[in-house]
Amino acid sequence: MDCTIHLPPRWVNAETLEGALCSAGHGPHGATTTAFVFPGGCKIMIDAAVRLLSLCNQLDASTGRVRLDFEEGESGVMGYLNRMGFFDELSPNAEVSPARPTISGAEVHGGSNPGLVEIANINHKARDQALPGRLTDAVVLACGRRRDVDELGGAAFTVFAELIDNVFSHSQTPLDGYAALQVYPKGDSLQVAVSDSGLGIMQTLRPALKTEYPSLAGLSDTALLVEVFRQGLSRHGADRGCGLQGSAAKAIKFRADLDVRLPGTRVALKPGKGGYATAHCQDNLPLVWGTHICFTFRLD
Amino acid sequence: MNEPMERIRLRNFMDSSEGWGREQGRKVYPALLDLVETRPGAMIFKVSLEGVKRIDISFASETIVELARRYRGKKGFCFIDLVDPDMAENWDAAAARKAQPLVSWDHGKARTLGVSPSQGTLGAFEFALKRPRTRAAEFAAATKDMSIANASTKFKQLWEQGFLLRRDDVAESGGVEYSYYRIG
Repeated sequence: MDCTIHLPPRWVNAETLEGALCSAGHGPHGATTTAFVFPGGCKIMIDAAVRLLSLCNQLDASTGRVRLDFEEGESGVMGYLNRMGFFDELSPNAEVSPARPTISGAEVHGGSNPGLVEIANINHKARDQALPGRLTDAVVLACGRRRDVDELGGAAFTVFAELIDNVFSHSQTPLDGYAALQVYPKGDSLQVAVSDSGLGIMQTLRPALKTEYPSLAGLSDTALLVEVFRQGLSRHGADRGCGLQGSAAKAIKFRADLDVRLPGTRVALKPGKGGYATAHCQDNLPLVWGTHICFTFRLD
Repeated sequence: MNEPMERIRLRNFMDSSEGWGREQGRKVYPALLDLVETRPGAMIFKVSLEGVKRIDISFASETIVELARRYRGKKGFCFIDLVDPDMAENWDAAAARKAQPLVSWDHGKARTLGVSPSQGTLGAFEFALKRPRTRAAEFAAATKDMSIANASTKFKQLWEQGFLLRRDDVAESGGVEYSYYRIG
């Protein structure tokens, strides 16, 4: 059984990507071959790109065939993905049409655009200790003219550090995770995206709820996710679990929106009084392993 | 007489100027513990963050906060040069999670991170902060309608919660009387 996912000929963010996955009918997991079609005019935001990368590599790991068709070739969105290092991290088994780039744009231009940080690999076997700092330095460089650049850098470091540490500590998968950021000057925003292909927050947290937080055991995934970011929860008990809460506290200072994709659910949270509150929730989504988090900081 | 104090430069225990995550924190912690154990006479440790560029909440939780929690009531840990507000927020968040107060000193002024004294003990705490050492009788004498027994209860609470330290002393009467010490 094959699955073809058509991305639209316009900007694709996490929400749009979800729409494309849903439009394909049954999800890509379980398909013999999954094709992702990028038409002319398609552009992709970092949150969608990182999730797509994780998804492609998950499908490959579960022995499905993966194909990416770029109708504009390297002059279109393929060129941007190459610049980000997407193809450096994409499984070598994935087929790319018209052809996989022969030269890595990330290697050639790496670090030269302060508004973009190439997709960073979160490798369980070789922890890059400098990763959060490097991503943060990129934020500071990109936003150097802002008066609050120190505060923004501090917030970015906490967000990166806590999210990436969670991938190492909780994801329980041998598949790599990914982190990336992009400043969108025209949109006055900064996206910070971390993606892994593990069990997902709920699968790691729920087994501990009855003993650690019995009053929360009956909550839906969406409501529980809000509590994770609001009060901090951990499968290890009450004196842990401040990572996501701390990240949220930093991000809220910049009115950041929060988008979280779990294996079957997507929740969009907006800052409000007392922390994040659910703005939008989708259940019964096509299966995508892991936890995929994106903060969109407002820079205006 | 001031109680023996030691200084800890946290950067000396870190591989880089950035402290990231529980794993790094757990590598730093044993070395911090070793330093404290080899200074048995020291009651108060002043922590300098010179050279520490960034830390996240998890690293904070596994290092100084955990150290303070382990020695709560017996030894005290305070910051002496915590000027970065973002870093202060992370120490505060980590300390709050473990209900462990940490005092940060800035030009003679103290700020409490993590936990604040209750309304009922706040006056006693502020009194204690103004002097290296104090006794319940001194607070009672300086406060209207405060008995020595009431003052003693407040100080004891502050000691148990980690805001102050305590040592046995000999009272004028010859019996045991506690001296309470600010941390820093």
